[in-house]
Amino acid sequence: MDFGLSEDQREIQRTARELLSERARWERVREHAEARRSDEGLWRELCELGWPGIAVSERYGGQGLGMVALSVLCEELGRVVAPVPFLPTVLAAALIEQGGSEEQRERWLPGLAGGETLGAVGVAREGVAELVVGGAQAGVVVLLEGEGEGEGTARVLAAAGADAGVDAGVNVDSGADADVDVNADSGVDADMDVQSLDAIDPTRSAARVSARDGAGETLAGDVAGGVDRALIAVASELVGVSERALEMTVEYVKERKQFGVPVGSYQAVSHRCAQMLLDTEQARSLTAFAAWTADAEPSRLPEAAAMAKAAASDAGREVTAGAIQAHGGIGFTWEANVHWLYKRAQLDAALLGGARHHRARVATLMTS
Amino acid sequence: MDLTFDEPELAFREELRGWLAANPPDPEPREGGEDAHYAWRRSWQRRLYEAGWAAPSWPAEYGGRGATLTQSAIYFEEIGRARVPMAANVLGLLLGGPTLMVWGSEAQKERHLPPILSAEEIWCQGFSEPDAGSDLASLKTRAVRDPAHPDGWVVSGQKVWTSGAQYSKWCMLVARTDSEAPKHKGLTYFLLDMQQEGVQVRPLRQITGEAEFNELFIEEAHVSDENVIGGVGNGWKVALTTLMNERAGLGFALQVRLRQLLDDTIAAARERGLLEDPLYADALAELHIRCESIRLLAWKGLTDVERYGQPGPEGSLVKWLWSDTNQRLTQLAADIVGPQALIAGTSWSYELLRARGNSIEGGTTEVLKNIVAERVLGLPRLKAAV
Repeated sequence: MDFGLSEDQREIQRTARELLSERARWERVREHAEARRSDEGLWRELCELGWPGIAVSERYGGQGLGMVALSVLCEELGRVVAPVPFLPTVLAAALIEQGGSEEQRERWLPGLAGGETLGAVGVAREGVAELVVGGAQAGVVVLLEGEGEGEGTARVLAAAGADAGVDAGVNVDSGADADVDVNADSGVDADMDVQSLDAIDPTRSAARVSARDGAGETLAGDVAGGVDRALIAVASELVGVSERALEMTVEYVKERKQFGVPVGSYQAVSHRCAQMLLDTEQARSLTAFAAWTADAEPSRLPEAAAMAKAAASDAGREVTAGAIQAHGGIGFTWEANVHWLYKRAQLDAALLGGARHHRARVATLMTS
Repeated sequence: MDLTFDEPELAFREELRGWLAANPPDPEPREGGEDAHYAWRRSWQRRLYEAGWAAPSWPAEYGGRGATLTQSAIYFEEIGRARVPMAANVLGLLLGGPTLMVWGSEAQKERHLPPILSAEEIWCQGFSEPDAGSDLASLKTRAVRDPAHPDGWVVSGQKVWTSGAQYSKWCMLVARTDSEAPKHKGLTYFLLDMQQEGVQVRPLRQITGEAEFNELFIEEAHVSDENVIGGVGNGWKVALTTLMNERAGLGFALQVRLRQLLDDTIAAARERGLLEDPLYADALAELHIRCESIRLLAWKGLTDVERYGQPGPEGSLVKWLWSDTNQRLTQLAADIVGPQALIAGTSWSYELLRARGNSIEGGTTEVLKNIVAERVLGLPRLKAAV
């Protein structure tokens, strides 16, 4: 039994870590977050490396390196709260690859894998998804509806011109404070109406997406498998976010002195840090296991993915909240960087169903 | 990344599982109290011993199978799964023997290892004292040179939480031999012969009603030099070896038992129609997730050491997580089964009460958190104000 990454996977991790530590420092992240703007330069670099398509089959223009490799990248990008549309795009790719027909895959995956097309996935009720991460810029949106007993529907909706491979790198310079619903991506031939929203995490776009009647196409394949892989990608990002929050916290509480000693020497603080580590490592082990099942033991994937998402969602919220707390007054300022992690965790925890939702699925799966 | 077992490991599991299925222990005695129970565990260990299954992790030269860490973990998983009794000499097998293998002389190993394996000589542990629990190094049991015997020591003091003492021949005893030295440096690790006048054993009744543990009252007992392990003044290091082993193998059996208890709890919930209640379903799912993460963390911790030589944070995390989970589980089970968990003598009430000890024994959760904070995260320790 070996929990370690392969040499190739470690190489991906190293490359990502180095690249992002240079190109996604907090100052740059802040600059883009405050402007509500994607870091186009960084996105281009990620695309040049082929990373949006890392888990997409080679026949559709991806690298075919599997879920564990994707998980590594999601974690690294989570660590820096990278202001790029990576996650929503890979979520869409996972849904379409597993759930789409051959024709649908051929139509969408190459664009998604290369990053020329941006994607997003949302959960809808009666055709309306209230908050879709990446929704304002996406050329293709997959809406999931009516999970119930896991028998939901998935619909793929295209923005106007998305089929023609429009460079979706054009920023939708829209804020929710505009008087008019800005539907820059929508037009006469769009499948959906997109209303851009200002989410509390400004490092990625967000939108309310409503499907137009009869528009879009159903995904009739293994939608559940696509959802499970999507869940693991989100869980992986949450693990990265949690890990970074803990690192920053440990560094801070070693430095910050009160009453003549580092605050980290007080057990109330150090024990909180220990709990943050425990939460992160639980989420990490479950997420790693889930990623492995996607590649090697798919019969265990549904339960593994649900467990990973549940644990990572809780961990993300708890650990980032703990990080703010341990930073004291500073943690509560806009100036400090802890809040970006907290906000990212909040969005990710809710994305594709939160902890309670997935625990309910686990309950069903474990007792059947 | 490969989370499967290889062929030899699967074969090992199959072989053991088959043997256990074909050689079940005698039924648990209903009468005769603790003595009968102990005799039952002893005869079980003899059966394991005769089949070569008493201590697979011991090197073959000492009667084991030279099992790898993974095989050892598999062994404990299967022992747990089969719900067989713990071997009577579990402390000798898991703690004493391995400690001797690291620190003992050839003569000591030859003299002591065989009767540990066969359960002929039972071992107990004399570490904690009433005033020295988490702060073990402050222990006060004293050993001084015996004026009457040049190669002997006289020991006096008190030990607590000594399980199996009433059946033991040998006690792994840590005592202070040098009061001038700094507290960690003045200790020596002895093997104390329990069958002598100066040693009195008093059962320590616990909240569940019975006495797994004892107090030891040691008054001028005798130990000879040949029963000093690891050299005079080296007791702390030897004790650490013992304590490290305490967390290693048994954990895998405990995890499996946790899983079994969870399955029993789910079954109880199902019987009472509570699986349809979303609050119970949520709580059970949370416990299931924790159980799985304990299993994964334990295996990750073990296989990382085996493959890369480097332990990760898992070792310190698993025991903490296990004890917390077992407490939550037994409490939820009480909510599910109702009065059955509140009536003395039922397995549900036993598990509920016994679980309180999990976060205290083998390292309190508070101490484990300190270890995580200081050794894994590198946080500074608060020095007491002078």
